[in-house]
Amino acid sequence: MSTIAVEALTKRYGTITAVDDLTFGLAPGRITGFLGPNGAGKSTTIRVLLGLARPTCGRATINGRPYAELRDPLRHVGALLDPNVFHPGRPGRTALRIAARPARIPGQRVEEVLDLTGLASAAHRRVGGYSLGMRQRLALAAALLGDPQILILDEPASGLDPEGVAWLRGLLRRLADQGRTVFVSSHQLAELAQTADDVVIINQGRLIAAGPMAGLLERSQASSLEDFFLGATSPDAQSTHAAFIRPRSLS
Amino acid sequence: MRSLIAAELLKLRSTRSAWIPLAVALAAAILAVVASATAAGHGGNPPLSPAALPDLFRASGGQLVDGAVLLAWIVLSAGEFRHRTSVTTFLGQPRRLRVVSAKLAAAALTGIAAGLLAEALSAATSTAVLSAHHLPLDWNQPGVPAAVITVPLLAALYGILGVGLGLLLRNTAAALGLALMWAFVIEGILPVLIHAPGVVRWLPEATANAVLHGASATATTLPAAAALAVLAGYAVVLATGGAIVTTRREIGTTTG
Repeated sequence: MSTIAVEALTKRYGTITAVDDLTFGLAPGRITGFLGPNGAGKSTTIRVLLGLARPTCGRATINGRPYAELRDPLRHVGALLDPNVFHPGRPGRTALRIAARPARIPGQRVEEVLDLTGLASAAHRRVGGYSLGMRQRLALAAALLGDPQILILDEPASGLDPEGVAWLRGLLRRLADQGRTVFVSSHQLAELAQTADDVVIINQGRLIAAGPMAGLLERSQASSLEDFFLGATSPDAQSTHAAFIRPRSLS
Repeated sequence: MRSLIAAELLKLRSTRSAWIPLAVALAAAILAVVASATAAGHGGNPPLSPAALPDLFRASGGQLVDGAVLLAWIVLSAGEFRHRTSVTTFLGQPRRLRVVSAKLAAAALTGIAAGLLAEALSAATSTAVLSAHHLPLDWNQPGVPAAVITVPLLAALYGILGVGLGLLLRNTAAALGLALMWAFVIEGILPVLIHAPGVVRWLPEATANAVLHGASATATTLPAAAALAVLAGYAVVLATGGAIVTTRREIGTTTG
C-alpha cells in the first residue's frame, strides 16, 4: 500500500510559521484535494514531502520513509510542482530523457508519457516555445515517467484549456481507480469538487478539515465545496468548523 | 552514479550556451597552431622548427579550452537554479551529494575529452603545418608528452572549478561575471592592491600557466608540480563549498 503520512509537521522560516503542527494521512485508490488560501502552507508542505525543504519538526513520509531515503523515488512518487522547471532551450523530449536518466527509465517510457499527455507531436520543439498548458502537460509527463503509485500535483490544471481540464480529470480518476494515491493541491474548487474523493484543508499552516468530501459537506450542511471552504477558512471559522476536523487515521 | 553522470552529460549536449564555447575553443585550437606557424620567423619570433611542436600543442589546447570548460560548467551548474531545473534534478535524485558528485565527474570528463580533442586537432594541424614546411616531426621530444597530459588535466580542473563556482553562487550572470573579472582584471591588479607582488604566483591563472608552460626562468611562478597542487586545492575548495551550499539550501519554486 502506497501512502503519504504527515505527522506533526512544522516548518518555520525565521519568525514566520508556514506549516504548524500539521497531521494528515492519505490512502491509496483515492483522489485527495489539498486546499487552502494563498500562503496557507500547501506548497511548503508539498516541498517538505518531496525533500526539497527540511521540516523544522515533525515528519512527512512516503511509504513510511522520507522522500530522500526512497530508492529510485521517481518509480514511487510522481510530482508536478511547477510547469516552469524545464530548460527553455531543450526540446520537450530531451527534457524528459534527462529527467528519466537517474531512475534508468527507458526511452520507450518517455515516448509513452509524451503520447499520454498529448505532446508527442511537439516533443521535438524547444520548451521555450511551449504554451503554459503544454509546459503543464510536460510537467505531468515527467511526473508519470516512473509509473509511480503516488502522484503529488500542485495546481495541475493551471494553464490547461477546458478540454485539457476534462482530460486531466479523467486521467486522475483512472490513476486512482488503478489503486494509486493522488494528492492534488488546487484553488479550482469547482473542478476539485468533481474530482476529489477526500479533502485536506489548511489555513495559516494549520489543519482545518480532513476527510471524505461527501461526509464533510453533509456534516457542515454546506451546499458546495466552495461554501464549505470559504466558511472553513474565514477568520472566525476555526470554532465554527472545529467539529469537522477529522484527520484520517495515518496509514 | 553512471546514470547521473549520463544525465549531466546529456544536459551539456542539449544546452547550446554550454557546448558552443567548447566548439569555439576547439576551432580556435586549430587556428592557434596556424597562427603560431604563420607568425614564426616574423616580428622577432623564432623561425618554425621541429622544436616548436610542444609550444604548438600548448598554444592550441591551453587556456582557451580551460576557459571554455569553465564557462560551460558555470552555465550548467548555476543554470539549474536560474531555470529551476534543480527541482526536476533533485526530485530524480534527492541525495544531493550524489548529484554534485555526478556534476563534478561529468565536468572532469568534459575537460579531459575537450583537452584530448584539442590536442588531437593540434596534432593533426601541426603535422600538416610542419610537413608543409618540410620539417620533421618528433613526437617524443621533451615537452610533447607533458603538454598532452597537462592540457586535459588542467581542463578537468577548470571544469570542477566551474561546477563549484556555479553551485556556490547559483546565479549564472554573477558566476560568469566573477570568472571573467577574475581572469582579466582581478588577478592582474590584486597583487598591486595588496602590495604583495609575490602573491600572484599563487593565484589560479598563474598556477595554470605554470602547469602548462613550466616555471619561469625568473622564478615568478611556482614549479609545475606545486602549481598543480595549488590549482587542485582551489578546485577542491570551490567544489566543497558548492556541495555544502547545495546540500544545505532549500530548493524553491515560483509558488513558494
